[in-house]
Amino acid sequence: MTNPVLLGNLKILFNPHTVAVIGASENPGKLGSHVMRSLTSGGFKGTIVPVNPGAKSIMSLPAFSSIEEFPGEIDLAVVVLPANLVPGIFHECSLKGVKGIVLISAGFREIDDSQGAVLQKTLAELANKAGIPVIGPNTFGMVNLHIDLNASFTPEFSWLPKGGIALVSQSGGISHLLGFMAIRQNAGVSKIVGLGNRLNVDFPEMVPYLMQDSDTRVIALYVEGLDEPRRLMEAMKQTRFVKPVVAYKTGTSRTGNQASLSHTGSLAGRQEIYEGALKQCGVLYVDRAETLLDAARALSLCPLPKGGRVAVLSGQAGPAMAASDVCETGGMEIATFHPDTQRLINTLLPPLALRTNPVDMGPKWYDTSAIEGIIGAVMEDRNVDAILLLMMFASANRAAVSGFSDLLLKWKQRKPVVACLIAPPGIWDKEVGRLEEGGALINVPTPERAAKTLALLWEYEKMKSLNSVEPGG
Amino acid sequence: MKRKSTILEKALREGRKTLSEYESKDFLKSYGIPVTREILVHSREECVKAAHAIGYPLVLKGCSPSLSHKTEKGLVRVDVRSEQEAVLAFDELATRMERNGKAILVQEMIKGTRELVAGMTRDPQFGPCVMFGLGGIYTEILKDIAFRVAPLEKQDAMDMTQEIKAHKILGAVRGMPAADLDLLCDILMKVGVIGMENELIQEIDINPLILSGSKPVAVDALVVLKPAD
Repeated sequence: MTNPVLLGNLKILFNPHTVAVIGASENPGKLGSHVMRSLTSGGFKGTIVPVNPGAKSIMSLPAFSSIEEFPGEIDLAVVVLPANLVPGIFHECSLKGVKGIVLISAGFREIDDSQGAVLQKTLAELANKAGIPVIGPNTFGMVNLHIDLNASFTPEFSWLPKGGIALVSQSGGISHLLGFMAIRQNAGVSKIVGLGNRLNVDFPEMVPYLMQDSDTRVIALYVEGLDEPRRLMEAMKQTRFVKPVVAYKTGTSRTGNQASLSHTGSLAGRQEIYEGALKQCGVLYVDRAETLLDAARALSLCPLPKGGRVAVLSGQAGPAMAASDVCETGGMEIATFHPDTQRLINTLLPPLALRTNPVDMGPKWYDTSAIEGIIGAVMEDRNVDAILLLMMFASANRAAVSGFSDLLLKWKQRKPVVACLIAPPGIWDKEVGRLEEGGALINVPTPERAAKTLALLWEYEKMKSLNSVEPGG
Repeated sequence: MKRKSTILEKALREGRKTLSEYESKDFLKSYGIPVTREILVHSREECVKAAHAIGYPLVLKGCSPSLSHKTEKGLVRVDVRSEQEAVLAFDELATRMERNGKAILVQEMIKGTRELVAGMTRDPQFGPCVMFGLGGIYTEILKDIAFRVAPLEKQDAMDMTQEIKAHKILGAVRGMPAADLDLLCDILMKVGVIGMENELIQEIDINPLILSGSKPVAVDALVVLKPAD
């Protein structure tokens, strides 16, 4: 099992008062300068200590030739130096009592030269002996949004909205993809962590830590491969359903069929094994980057549906059809409204429209009170467990979103509301932003994604309730 | 326990990679997995005796550890309905089996159109994993299968049965009774236990696992041993 000192220090690593950048630089050609910009422009309230033997000051901060020279304690060291210098630095960190290291440097286990792996092993021994958790090597770093700590080489991660999603990734590229998608979709993030080569902090360390982290409501994982999958399974099983975990796993079978002797030859699929193993730990398994983000966002901002009956309320018929299809393949059911609800809808909409579920509210574009009436009745309908609210902008329905906003804001998702309210940039942005801020709904870029997101909420709820029964019961 | 491991040890001593169908099922049965009633025979006389003991209709199969894909090799006779047919089938199979010894498996014929598959594979990283899915020829074509890592809890097994796309065939369909899910889960859990307890086994393939009424029965099975290091 993991060293408890190391786990204790993980909390300090993510919440340092003093951060040293070893290999700090002003030269934009060096990663050390980007890390310095991330820290200084990200708004970090603690002390930043640039370390570089050749500089008196870096980015207007006094620089030190070594960490030893700095008079105070150092909680976190971000290391951006060539691989061969790193063992010496680890030694210095250990002497200085540094509590955590983010090792951005590359040139370890990931390189062809076997010396890389040897060097990494040496570092792991040094770090484990000193009880220092290390994020990396070969990583962009990590970000803890809630304390404005950007210990990465990407200053723009500080643009992320603060929220409840912790993103732990084995790939720097996917982290950047998801990070920038999150910025565009206003998805609130607590932490982004690039595990890199996983010296001594791997998924089995991160998941239990994030389960205890009060800023994190949902854990989103991007997994390529695991060194010790059973260790992760044990860690996850102990904390399953404490907080939702969503995982996106890539990488198809490497070994192929190995000329399987069985007559089916179908037993070799490793991707299916990963899928099964993750589900076994109560993890919501997804197969796309955008689904990972959508699901994580919904799980952090929407209540779980009590059942699978969904109401599809749309401004147009086509998007309602597209969403309904995905709901059904995703295991949800298009709800049959209570007769009272149906009667009310029939009085509010003319017979030519789709009035049973899905409901095409198109004919009442001009009449916001009618739209409000329909939404209100459906929200209260006890035959409805979740709501999909879809509306594509048209000049004539411009006022619709502000028309139903107050009702939704008051109702605050007593049942989950996933929306797809789409307009040209600048038109509904403010209204949608207000609805999201107020916890009235989450807005997703396509009707299909909105439906899929809702279906995943339902899948998670089912998994949770089925596995929450007494063992053996 | 002794009986269980002796089958494996014998096979390994003989330098074999697999157990025969008969041995495979005998092994599964020792863990309480329901298998077809069957008797291994080597002569006409034994065949007739076995046929009487089991009752018609029967299935006769050539049986040898070196045999897989028995159907393709013409080594299966189904719906054998009388002593005369049994003797004829025995003679034909025995002729074809000349090179592999004359062991013929006399087996009860399970009636059921719903064919499933259950299995175990020892993954290099995850260790023993249990597989469940649509069986027979559909296993290869549709690959409608689900995996879980052993050991399985009851809910894991239940989730597997619901995870395959064709899960509705386990319900009451077309006048057929719903599958006994408790028994099905029990089989999957036991396959996991076999994987946990027997390092020597690399793979288990129970295909088809046929629903006889509501009860799953292992109709064919193959145990693959771990290659020696």
